[in-house]
Amino acid sequence: MIFSWNNTLRCLALVGLLLGVKPLHAEYLKIELRVYGLDCELCARGVAASVQRLPGVKSVDVSLKKGLLEIVLVRGNTFKMSDLRKRIRENGFRAMEANVTALGNFNGSSRFEVVGSGESYNVARPDTKGPGPVELTFDIK
Amino acid sequence: MWHQILLSPRGESKILRLRWRAVRVVVSLVCLIATPAWADGHSPAFAFSTAILGKGDASFETELMWRSGTVMFGPRVSYGISQNFQISVSSPFHINHGEHPTGRFTAMMPGNPEFEALLGWRFYHASTGIGTRNEATLYAGGSALTQHTPRVDGPALERQPGMYVAFAAGRVARSYDIWAGAGYQRYGEWNRNNPVNSHQSNTLLGSFAAGWRPSFLNKDYPKPDLRFFWETTGEHVGLAWRDRTPGFGGGGGHGHLVPPTPLPSQNGIIYLRNSGGKAVFSGPSFLCTYRSVAVQGGVLFAVMDQPNGRQPQYREELRVVVGVSYYFLGRRK
Repeated sequence: MIFSWNNTLRCLALVGLLLGVKPLHAEYLKIELRVYGLDCELCARGVAASVQRLPGVKSVDVSLKKGLLEIVLVRGNTFKMSDLRKRIRENGFRAMEANVTALGNFNGSSRFEVVGSGESYNVARPDTKGPGPVELTFDIK
Repeated sequence: MWHQILLSPRGESKILRLRWRAVRVVVSLVCLIATPAWADGHSPAFAFSTAILGKGDASFETELMWRSGTVMFGPRVSYGISQNFQISVSSPFHINHGEHPTGRFTAMMPGNPEFEALLGWRFYHASTGIGTRNEATLYAGGSALTQHTPRVDGPALERQPGMYVAFAAGRVARSYDIWAGAGYQRYGEWNRNNPVNSHQSNTLLGSFAAGWRPSFLNKDYPKPDLRFFWETTGEHVGLAWRDRTPGFGGGGGHGHLVPPTPLPSQNGIIYLRNSGGKAVFSGPSFLCTYRSVAVQGGVLFAVMDQPNGRQPQYREELRVVVGVSYYFLGRRK
């Protein structure tokens, strides 16, 4: 085997490229969840505080007038929508429809799997080029 | 001379009694101000409402209650076992004794100095829209009297165990609340072999409350949240009684010159003066919550007050409650 500066540089460039790419985890990025039953400031505070403690949650905003929770998540989280709905139910309220932004892969034509979460949804497939995860915003009824 | 001034007929030092009363008032005020307390996040001050704590949430409440000469201080701790089960423990005590029909002070606070533990089961719960929900709760629990309440017509009644069952239902929304409920408190006996048995008044209590949050106060989270209520309570307080034992009749106890009252008796017991009646009270209250603190207060005026016919000197005109609360929310992992 002959030592070659060219091959060495190519190997180093490949390693650098691989190290520079972050691995993909469960990637819910942002959730707007409609919640029924929130009527007072303390209700909102209780829900916000308990949702804030779910893993991966960066911030929670509550609008009593709209009955809406806006949740921003950190990258690489292990967040699950089922955990969020359970947490809302434990607070005595009812989680309804949601608008979700997430990274995921399409399994088939319309099954969108959120990376790493094990949760998938029926979503119309957008026109995307090539394989790999896509960032998508969609509604959950 | 000073000796005569400072000593009461019973030989107690007036200065010491005044000091003791001042100490009790100061301690109560300090507790009320310094101790964060709970005042039911969505509930009226006097009337029934449903359990509210989420799973793992807790609250601490203190209330200062006043009615016709009786001043009570009531601390309470509550914990949400799950979203539908809540346990509350309260232990109100007298700051100043009074003579009155000793019914419950509020739906959730005993009127006697006692230790009470209540389990609340929110058996119905429906969130019907943005900011609205309907719910109903059953409460059941037990209590034990902790202080002897002196009576002018004889020795204090014995400390006794009690039980309390109640029902509350309501609808809450961003602009209004409606609450209704009823409860029954019954006292028993620790020792049936006691030579001088006595019995506290049982109470049947019902309430209706309407809450209103004016549109100019309908602010979004996290602004302070203020709402007003109009509350009406109705109660039937039973007669207290004690055994017809010489020296423990309907009057004349403690050396006071209270004439014996003609009281009905049966099975060797005597019903006591100033121990029961029917009454309807109505009045305004408010609830303000901000961050994890709630401040609550209310005044009820007597709409109908029918003592049991043996209380000529007694009329209860109004009841006042002031409370401060603190919530421990969202602490669970």
